[in-house]
Amino acid sequence: MNDDAMLHDARLRELAQRLGARAADRLDVDRTAQAVVTRLREQPRVTAPAIVWMRPAWLKLAAAVVLLLGTGLVTRGVVRDRRPAATSVVPVGEDLSDLTADQLREAIGSLDQPMTDESGAVDSGGGIESLSADELRALLRALEG
Amino acid sequence: MIPAEPLAAPGAPPTDAALIAAWQGGDEQAAAELVRRHARALARFLAGGGALEVDVDDLVQETFIRAFRGVGRFRGLCQFRTWLLTIGGNVLRDAARRAKRATLVPLGEDVRATGGDPHERAVAGEVAGRLLEGLGRLPRMQREVFLLRAQQALGYDEIAAALGTTPGAARVHYHHAVKRLKEYLK
Repeated sequence: MNDDAMLHDARLRELAQRLGARAADRLDVDRTAQAVVTRLREQPRVTAPAIVWMRPAWLKLAAAVVLLLGTGLVTRGVVRDRRPAATSVVPVGEDLSDLTADQLREAIGSLDQPMTDESGAVDSGGGIESLSADELRALLRALEG
Repeated sequence: MIPAEPLAAPGAPPTDAALIAAWQGGDEQAAAELVRRHARALARFLAGGGALEVDVDDLVQETFIRAFRGVGRFRGLCQFRTWLLTIGGNVLRDAARRAKRATLVPLGEDVRATGGDPHERAVAGEVAGRLLEGLGRLPRMQREVFLLRAQQALGYDEIAAALGTTPGAARVHYHHAVKRLKEYLK
């Protein structure tokens, strides 16, 4: 390092040592010390268990558990909502040939509207009254999947 | 755990470690003595890091509160004061995030020389003000290493222990800080 650089470094250190000098001089350390002690006395300490719970690892774990539980509950709710629609179709099963046209219409009518909407199997404009027994059986099998 | 420290000689002031132990035992005056002992150095560090003079007292108090609350985490790998200064750095960062103004430091009288020729004082004040601005532009690690080294006159081993880095890395941060500050001051 040449003389200029050393001089510059020394100057930089000298300037750095002066930074904040006035702020430090103006600080009333006795008053500050008293204020700190008062605050320590008045503000309750954070208890050890609270600190443990505030740790990020614990928070992440807790968030994961909540997420899993939430997902489970939502999934359970969805499955429950769909179960009645499924049970209404099950009895039809393999015995379609034994059903009369009225019984078939009644079975189709028991199907949930959303299901028919999603499958697009039922023409909402024409209705099912005009279908024959064979057509109704075909429709019901198609809806059963 | 704070490593064993030689007992102070009879009549000598108690060591930091003794005061910390006393505070942990419930002695409030031990805490007050630690504040009196280190508050000015902390104030200089905070001001050098960009704190407005009007905020320095609050920031000093907040730093000590955090330090005393978390003193159980102080392992004694560095001096209490060095550890305190790093907490001060965190407090300053949090305050800057809240206020978005801590780095907007006006040229303060505190950086100006107080003696000699008025023209020289003005020039010195201007340079010091630019140094403060330059410090505000440095990455936090470089700024803190620079202040701990150049302002607080700490060794690289001590700085590294406080900032959780190696002495070599601390030296590199200081080198980069000096280089950038010199370029800024040109």
